[in-house]
Amino acid sequence: MAVKAFSNEWATEFKDEVNKSSVYRTAAKGWKWTVGLVVEAEPDKNFPEAKGVVMDLYDGEARDVTVGTAEDAQKCDFVITAPYTRWKEVATKQLDATKGMLQGKLKLKGDLPTIVRYTKASQEMTECTTRVAVVWPDEK
Amino acid sequence: MHDPGRGRMARRKVKLDQGGVAGSGSARPAASKGESPPKFDVESRAEFTYADDEPSAFASMLGGLIEANVRSRPEKARDFESLVARVGIFVTDINEGVTLDFKGGRLIVHNGLKPRRTLTIRADADTVMNLSNLKIGLLGLPIYYDSVGRGVAAKLLRGKLRIDGLLPNVLTLNTVTRIFSVQ
Repeated sequence: MAVKAFSNEWATEFKDEVNKSSVYRTAAKGWKWTVGLVVEAEPDKNFPEAKGVVMDLYDGEARDVTVGTAEDAQKCDFVITAPYTRWKEVATKQLDATKGMLQGKLKLKGDLPTIVRYTKASQEMTECTTRVAVVWPDEK
Repeated sequence: MHDPGRGRMARRKVKLDQGGVAGSGSARPAASKGESPPKFDVESRAEFTYADDEPSAFASMLGGLIEANVRSRPEKARDFESLVARVGIFVTDINEGVTLDFKGGRLIVHNGLKPRRTLTIRADADTVMNLSNLKIGLLGLPIYYDSVGRGVAAKLLRGKLRIDGLLPNVLTLNTVTRIFSVQ
């Protein structure tokens, strides 16, 4: 069943998808940092308030994924920020996350060598988001 | 636009539009749950500047990556001190390029491809990321026999990774790869 985008239910399903992925488990061995996704508000897309996704990722496992405020996500070791529409493009495979970062469509804050070392893990994590069936607020 | 006969470039005075957004995109992450963040403990006199008022995201990312590498790894800092070359990197699937002007301890990052480059690397985004994941082996040579290395070599053979100016500048390419590699 489809879940509301960036809701607590979405966070749970996303976490389950990550933990089901053997590709992620292997590629993210050694990862020890938190990752925050800031989803900026776009009121005209029926996404009126910014949200933050906080991911506690450790050594190939998603220990916790929660949805809270943008400020919560900004406290993470690595923070990726983009407007709602961009995240939707990533989750629907219209935008490759690596290309999005190189183009500045997704803004990354954090130690670059570390995130580049885990490119494969971040690509698989993006794949996991595409496996969650989502109801988008601008498609109601 | 290449100068294939010269592996090293003479030092030239470069007029910058505006210096200094050094470190863009390379913020130091805070410690997480008792784990140590990556350390920046190399005392380096390395200088990083951006030639454009508004460096592109790609320029900031590459400049930030190299700066973080040089400031955290002594062997990369030594390579950086010795490298004099103008290297272009063009990402074919986003149609964006940068020119990295290494001047023996200084790096000037330009948006786009500038003239008189020693080397120019053209590849898609994934391959560019894989280049920075090449492992460095004995004698400081990039390893092309593990899975990442084989992938890069296969793209080179298939023409999906093009390196203009390669033959006379193999040593320069190796040095750039070492500085660029996060492994």
